[in-house]
Amino acid sequence: MTDPIRDEWYPVAMVSQLHREDRDTLLLGEAIHVTLRDGQPMVTASSRVLPSQARYGHVWTSLGAPARPLFDIPEADQPGRRLVDVGLVRVKCSPLRAVENFLDIAHFPFVHTDILGAEPHTEVGRYDVAIRDEVDEVWATKVQFYQPQAAKSAAGGITTEYMYRVPAPTVSVLYKTCPPRPDEWDVITLFVQPLTETLCEVWPWMALFDDTTSLTDLIHFQQTIFLQDRSILENQQPSLLPLDPGLEIPTRADLTSVAYRRWLKRRGYSYGAQLVAA
Amino acid sequence: MSAAWTPVALSRDLPRLGVMPVCVDGMDVALWRSASGRVAAWADRCPHRGMRLSHGFVRGEALSCIYHGWSYGAEGHCLRIPAHPDLAPPDAIRVPVFHATEADGVVWVAPQAPDAMPPTIEGSALRSLTVEAAVDWDAVAFSVSGPVARGTLSGVAVTILVQPLPNGRYALHALTEATASPSVLTEVSRGLEALRRQAEGVFA
Repeated sequence: MTDPIRDEWYPVAMVSQLHREDRDTLLLGEAIHVTLRDGQPMVTASSRVLPSQARYGHVWTSLGAPARPLFDIPEADQPGRRLVDVGLVRVKCSPLRAVENFLDIAHFPFVHTDILGAEPHTEVGRYDVAIRDEVDEVWATKVQFYQPQAAKSAAGGITTEYMYRVPAPTVSVLYKTCPPRPDEWDVITLFVQPLTETLCEVWPWMALFDDTTSLTDLIHFQQTIFLQDRSILENQQPSLLPLDPGLEIPTRADLTSVAYRRWLKRRGYSYGAQLVAA
Repeated sequence: MSAAWTPVALSRDLPRLGVMPVCVDGMDVALWRSASGRVAAWADRCPHRGMRLSHGFVRGEALSCIYHGWSYGAEGHCLRIPAHPDLAPPDAIRVPVFHATEADGVVWVAPQAPDAMPPTIEGSALRSLTVEAAVDWDAVAFSVSGPVARGTLSGVAVTILVQPLPNGRYALHALTEATASPSVLTEVSRGLEALRRQAEGVFA
């Protein structure tokens, strides 16, 4: 029997922090303990040893028996990129709401004002969205948006192009125009650890071409963005993500969110979701 | 749904272009005042992605959601979706609207149209405060009629409007004699805090 929720891989710790201390935390409501043993991560729930691996700066584990390997981010191994552990932001919201917010660009002028967006540049143009059956992932491509300061390395306003990818229910990978390297994409991910259905910890992680910005500035930039998002995420009603239409009203700008919800429903991924419109 | 008015705020605490969360009959309400001074009370939820409208912003005669900037006009209908500036929003996109009225320096809200206007209130606005328990009005010799409690604090006639909140909490909106001096008003304000401590069983 496969379990579409317990068999997923989830991020549960930042590897670099485990060198200092173990981590006691929750995964899908269950208490787990994360530690390093001989440099390798070890995750236990009660006395049971769970499958685990270290990848993209974080420890990944599963309460079930993962049927597939952890998703691949090839850029993680590309020479010249800076890999940035941003840290953790705890958010009182459904882990799925956190992912969906990360896939959304229309909020930039209002929530990340003068950083990722600014009025009157609010229009979201047409972009392509697909559920790629061969990899079972959601992809949005040709997403464009005007941004006053798209990245720490961007000096002024530019039209930024994005691609969004959802390789696992609580993970999103963003590919965005890289100001110093127009032929490459900066990679910014959102790894979401579901503590419960209405509480999560969000671990942003980046693989960038940026040799000049200090690590502190890079982290502060992302922390600023995610704290702005938190003020939204903790105030959405209902707190669970509605997968059935009726309770919320999507527009063309929300096609990524529509595909994400459909994909979750198709996979039977209901943790943090509301299935029947209340 | 109740057809009675609930006192939700003192008028002066809701400035023009202001928006605040209030609670009426257990429902979350976004209370806001337009540029022209009109007060409105709406369901505190944007129909787009469920964000609380009380976190939003007022421009002119419209309230906008802070998440994606969707703006809504007087009847709660969607006026503009910034992601699609050329789109005329469908009429079906509406925020549920409550009845709101303002009299004697107090804002009142009702989910359904009440038969009568709110009671006449005398005095000038002093302050609002939240109490984590019910006040025993008999114990402080206040007389109660509906949501209105009248009595004396620090020798001054005081009218207190009682707004029930979820989980046994209450908001109290207090008005006093308009002629009271600032030092007397300070005394009355302390009297209100003593009332709160007494109700909450905190005597320290």
